[in-house]
Amino acid sequence: MDKGLLAYLLIPLLSAVIIPFAARNRPKLADILANVTLLAGLANLAWLALRPSIIRGEFADIPGDGFSLLLVAAVYLVALCVTFFSAWFIEEGLPNRSAYYSLILVSVSAMCGVVTTTDFFTLYVFIEVLAVTSFALITTDESGAGLEGALKYFFLTFPASALIIIGIAVMLMSLGSLSFESLRFFMASDLPAGPVTFGAALMLLGFIIKAGVVPFHTWAPDAYQGAYAPVSAHLAGIVTKVSGVYAIIKMATLLRFFDGRAQALSEMLMFLGLLSIAVGALAALKQTNLKRMLAFSSISQVGYIVLAAGLGTPLAIMGAIFHLINHATFKTVLFLNSASVEKSAGTTDMDKLGGLEHTMPWTSWTSIVALLSTAGVPPLSGFWSKLIIILALWEAGLKGYAVLALLFSIVTLAYFMMMQKKVFFGKKTPAAESSPEVCAPLLAPVVLMSGLIVALGLLFPYFYVYVKMVAERILL
Amino acid sequence: MDLPVKMLTMAVAVPVFGAFLVPFAARISTPVRNALAVLLGLFTFLAAASLFTTVLGGQTSTWMLSFPRGFDLILHADLLSVFMASVSAFVSLIILIYSLDYISHYEGQTEYYAMVVLFLGSMMGLVFSANLLWMYVFWEMTGFCSWRLVGFFRSDKDVAKANKTILVTVFGALCMLVGIIMVYFHYGTLDLRALHGQPISLLAAAFILAGILSKSATLPFSTWLPDAGVAPSTVTSLLHAAVLVKIGVYAYARIFGVTFAAPDAFSNAVLYIAGASALVSAGAALIETDIKRIIAYSTVSQIAFIFLGLASGNKTAFVGALLYILMHSIAKGGLFLCAGIIEQNTHTKDITRMGGLFASMPLTGVAFALCSLSVMGIPPFGGFFSKYLVFSGAAQNGNLVVLLMFLAGAVMTLLYLVRLFYKIFLGEPAGHDCPKEGSYTMVASVLALAVIGLALGFLIYYPSAYAELLTNTLGVNLQ
Repeated sequence: MDKGLLAYLLIPLLSAVIIPFAARNRPKLADILANVTLLAGLANLAWLALRPSIIRGEFADIPGDGFSLLLVAAVYLVALCVTFFSAWFIEEGLPNRSAYYSLILVSVSAMCGVVTTTDFFTLYVFIEVLAVTSFALITTDESGAGLEGALKYFFLTFPASALIIIGIAVMLMSLGSLSFESLRFFMASDLPAGPVTFGAALMLLGFIIKAGVVPFHTWAPDAYQGAYAPVSAHLAGIVTKVSGVYAIIKMATLLRFFDGRAQALSEMLMFLGLLSIAVGALAALKQTNLKRMLAFSSISQVGYIVLAAGLGTPLAIMGAIFHLINHATFKTVLFLNSASVEKSAGTTDMDKLGGLEHTMPWTSWTSIVALLSTAGVPPLSGFWSKLIIILALWEAGLKGYAVLALLFSIVTLAYFMMMQKKVFFGKKTPAAESSPEVCAPLLAPVVLMSGLIVALGLLFPYFYVYVKMVAERILL
Repeated sequence: MDLPVKMLTMAVAVPVFGAFLVPFAARISTPVRNALAVLLGLFTFLAAASLFTTVLGGQTSTWMLSFPRGFDLILHADLLSVFMASVSAFVSLIILIYSLDYISHYEGQTEYYAMVVLFLGSMMGLVFSANLLWMYVFWEMTGFCSWRLVGFFRSDKDVAKANKTILVTVFGALCMLVGIIMVYFHYGTLDLRALHGQPISLLAAAFILAGILSKSATLPFSTWLPDAGVAPSTVTSLLHAAVLVKIGVYAYARIFGVTFAAPDAFSNAVLYIAGASALVSAGAALIETDIKRIIAYSTVSQIAFIFLGLASGNKTAFVGALLYILMHSIAKGGLFLCAGIIEQNTHTKDITRMGGLFASMPLTGVAFALCSLSVMGIPPFGGFFSKYLVFSGAAQNGNLVVLLMFLAGAVMTLLYLVRLFYKIFLGEPAGHDCPKEGSYTMVASVLALAVIGLALGFLIYYPSAYAELLTNTLGVNLQ
């Protein structure tokens, strides 16, 4: 356990315990406590990583491997956007409102646990906590769709947990230890890898299911569509990325894919990654519901990260980390915007929407920024991460993969253009007629995130230096 | 930083960042916003043109921002980039002035001005970039601007056409990115100055060519350009004359004309593609009845002539192609702006419902005629000299089939433009109520372009001397 970051885990947990008591008589207090906790954490992190002296020193003074810190920051950022948004989005009279905030905070501390732990058993525990809180969060929307999504999530994610625990058992038997370091040393040695890679394969399979990679993706669209829109943003933006994708990247570095000791696993991951890119993008083309389309888009983008993680070279790992962060920014914007559209126009059915750009210019423009970044249009942040992934593929001699991954960007762009056309452009539909722009506090998180997308794109050299430092530390 | 470098960075930075000030200026008042847009255009033109003194003195100026992995942002002013930037910025400036009246009664003007200025800025960035990756970055930015501008009217049909525009051009651009990645891994750098005179593999060249052809609307990617005619005429004029279509031509000149030595088979293939493009689009222009589609097909056809000059592989043709870029920008910009006046005052784009307009719109008619004559290549207009040089260069190259294709294309150009002029301005009026002349600034803009087209013909010595200097200094692999 990285003790330096323990506070980021414990403080939200404490707030989560306090909130139900504090908010019993004053429901507003729940909003305030949750937001203040996350904001304070974020300010602290910014001080830790973005002091001028740290930036000048090319981030050499960052404690730990830097990867945990980056992800803790992403967790806090997305969660802050979600809670801030929820404070105005969820009606005040809702009975389980304080429980909702507590759940978000518990999931934040669970995610911090996942990204700071250094052994597989702790990883498993926190991932389970995360699965339970996500399940509960999806059911906060008590409609039929919410329950259906939650059940689907349940039926796919708990078998995945079972696979992970069996994998851990196999690993304990064959390796004798569960720490990350021992696996890394083992993979660097010349001992026959058979049983250990078998255990790792089982765990990877579990993480793949949790990440929603094709062909185990079916839970994602139902869960994201059924849940409250801020919850979808939380799940798609960060939760599945931490519980599934982060774990896959971590495994990729521990198994040392780049020196070919687990060739078969590496190839399988890359194949599934490319399959996700293709299936997610093509399925998104056919969707008529905005949230469902975003869910498929998420599956497709996760494919890029898994593809890069499967390759496992230092450059590919950099691309994967960079894309993970970018995905958190643009997918949060898109999901929160879908929430704004739902609140304002009353529906997310794209056939019923249209012409919203006149009444909702901010929502329209932030969507454009986020979708262009997703499609990898320069100079936004998504372009650089995709470029790095593709360069890594090319460098490793996998030219076919590189070209396919690149050309699927055009499909991404196509479904987003279609979305923008149906929702924001065109003639005003009856639903759009009476839909004003949402209030400023609901816009603040998306504007912040859009600004971040542009900033990460333009300040690419700084971010590159950071991510390079991370990749060097976690691969050595 | 000395003055030329300052001017170089400002020519890119001022319009790119200034575009984001336009919405704020709009908060103050409409005139302030319009003035800001025009001033940004004017400044860009002056900054680009001021670099002529540097490059004519035999110097170049460079500004560099370091990025990891050899992705440095390098702005480099040499003879070719300054020439192209000045032409684009000048035509864009005229279009901005014309827009003041033309666009004044539509919705979404703020976005329009912001996008036009951003478009111009991206064009400047593209032209001055000496790093292939940054050419690609600005390339995609222009794609984004064209998407918003083509879909300006926002009906389902407009947006569908805008989506077609961006999807075709982005697809091409992604192919180009594959080509760029090939170059990157082959040479380990994307700095065009370091790549000067290097050979390039056929496959990489073909991928890059796909991007170029999609942007310059040449076969087989030509269909988006006529469809983009649903946009306001100022936008189509901008796309055809100043920025979008010229990007493809410029990129060809930059990458295969003055940087890489392209394989012969590649240049020959380009000649045949261009020839087919010239013939097919000229044929389409002969049978169309929509005024803007006719002019759009004419652009596709004329762009092919520029490719003929660039790919013929000798100095005469290359000089001709450079002049062609200049003449075509001026003349085609004028034609579209005339079409804008006609369309706005007759409320139709169908030429069968026009006729006899010369009586009511004499000045527009004169401007239209002058621009048409320049496009046809009638002496003493500027268009004549460029076409002549391109043909004489192509004849030196000795490929008879290609030469015949282009001769047929040139004859057809004459035919469809005469037909167009006749149908609109001469003949019997066909059911319209003698619309009035366009507004003062609009007519002045088109007349200015028409007169400049004529003047360039008389003063052909200066531009052609410049083009020769350029070709001799920078040209690679030319006979």
